[in-house]
Amino acid sequence: MADKIRIKNLCKTFVEKSGETKVLDNISLDVKENEFLVLLGPGQCGKTVLLNILAGLDTPTSGTINYIKGNENGKEDIKEMKMGEIGMVFQKYALFPWKTVIENVEMSQKLKGIDKEQRRKSARNYIKLVGLENFEDSYPKQLSGGMKQRVGIARAYASESDILLMDEPFGALDAQTRYQMGEEILKMWRKDKRTVIFVTNNIEEAIYLGDRIILLSGCPATVKAEYIPKLERPRDYMALEFLQLRKEIADNTDLAL
Amino acid sequence: MKTNILKNKFYLGLSALSVLLLLLAWTYVSISGGGLIPTPFETFKRFIELLYKPVANGTIFIHLLVSLKRVIIAFLIASFAGIFLGVMLGWNKRFNAFFGPIFEILRPIPPIAWIPLVILWFGIGETPKVVIVFIGSFVPIVLNTFSGIKMIDSLLISAGKVLGANERQLLWDVAMPASLPAILAGMKTALGSGWMCVLAAEMVVAKQGVGFLIVRGMESGDSSLIIVCMIVIGLVSALITFSLTKFERKMCPWQTR
Repeated sequence: MADKIRIKNLCKTFVEKSGETKVLDNISLDVKENEFLVLLGPGQCGKTVLLNILAGLDTPTSGTINYIKGNENGKEDIKEMKMGEIGMVFQKYALFPWKTVIENVEMSQKLKGIDKEQRRKSARNYIKLVGLENFEDSYPKQLSGGMKQRVGIARAYASESDILLMDEPFGALDAQTRYQMGEEILKMWRKDKRTVIFVTNNIEEAIYLGDRIILLSGCPATVKAEYIPKLERPRDYMALEFLQLRKEIADNTDLAL
Repeated sequence: MKTNILKNKFYLGLSALSVLLLLLAWTYVSISGGGLIPTPFETFKRFIELLYKPVANGTIFIHLLVSLKRVIIAFLIASFAGIFLGVMLGWNKRFNAFFGPIFEILRPIPPIAWIPLVILWFGIGETPKVVIVFIGSFVPIVLNTFSGIKMIDSLLISAGKVLGANERQLLWDVAMPASLPAILAGMKTALGSGWMCVLAAEMVVAKQGVGFLIVRGMESGDSSLIIVCMIVIGLVSALITFSLTKFERKMCPWQTR
């Protein structure tokens, strides 16, 4: 598979009155086209900062990020990403409370000035993808946590970006819903493949979802190891290989299981 | 179910009892007070009389309309100006740095304290009343709009940016709707304060209006006129609050539904 994003020597240091805090230390990694990449790391490390930088919400202190648009005759077409070209799913949903489900989902296309009929049609498509057909006109407040995050995922998909960033999207959900959403997101991704970068601090979730797992160290975050689960999907949490990989990762990290 | 209905009837009965007791106490005090205080019946008679018999070339209805007109004109101007200033103060750091201090200095002055100066400047026509009401309703609108904009969840701003909103769209499609509940709350406070200010202004100098009428009652020793005015003023206040709450629900359906 071709590379989609190439991150080179990325560093981020926050400068405050109390001193400097380094959160990202020399992060280099390639993200392949249409792969489901999981960034696994402990709570307070710079995973969210890394995603924010990728989304354009923050700037790196040093290092580069290249987005590879296409590959023609062995020559890569590298381009600048503009805001609105990358989809993002937030841990705390970040839905607009004054907008209904469908209005939330169509937001990016509305901001781009696409006419109402067309963006509604596309939004309905993505709402169907996440299985919320009957809730188009509900307000976020009326939905459960899992449903809210489905809206968040549909909204990210509807930005028609080929890169989706997910910042611990199931972190605020209860365990039961969390398992269910993991299954669902893989289903959606199979139906409509995009390059996904999924951040989590849950080892099981990482192994269940990832084509590839990048293990990050604590603060400042560095790339510690890479794992490629050789397991058929849907993966079985109780399979021997699953448990072995879980132990291997757990032994290599200070994450609690 | 049945006990619930019974309970509700009981509470309703209690409320009716308290009003009845108040009327009884009022009657008792007025009879034993030797004519200083009119009885509820005399007050009601005076009210009916005021409906068709003009005092100072107007029935009570005309005086009420005059007062309301002043409030509404000033309130509308204050709403436009106040929302504009509040948004600018909350959204634009430079604007806030420049105009913020002036507003902070003028803000704590009670609007009624402006009456003498405003009368000196604008005379005794309609303008000074409108100006006083404007001062009284402008401040709460600015303050609420400002804090509404300031307290927007930064996550929503991030979500807007990621979805591709430019600066103008961030303001109009994210910040404004996000702070609409706060703005409406400010307008509610403003209308109440404006209603108070108009009475004060009319009490100082006016030829028409409920504030004028109540002072006329004092000057002519007509205490039933004063009491009628007080009750009407209270009812109008309650009506204003009630209709604005309705309006608020209509404008922000996501808050209640």
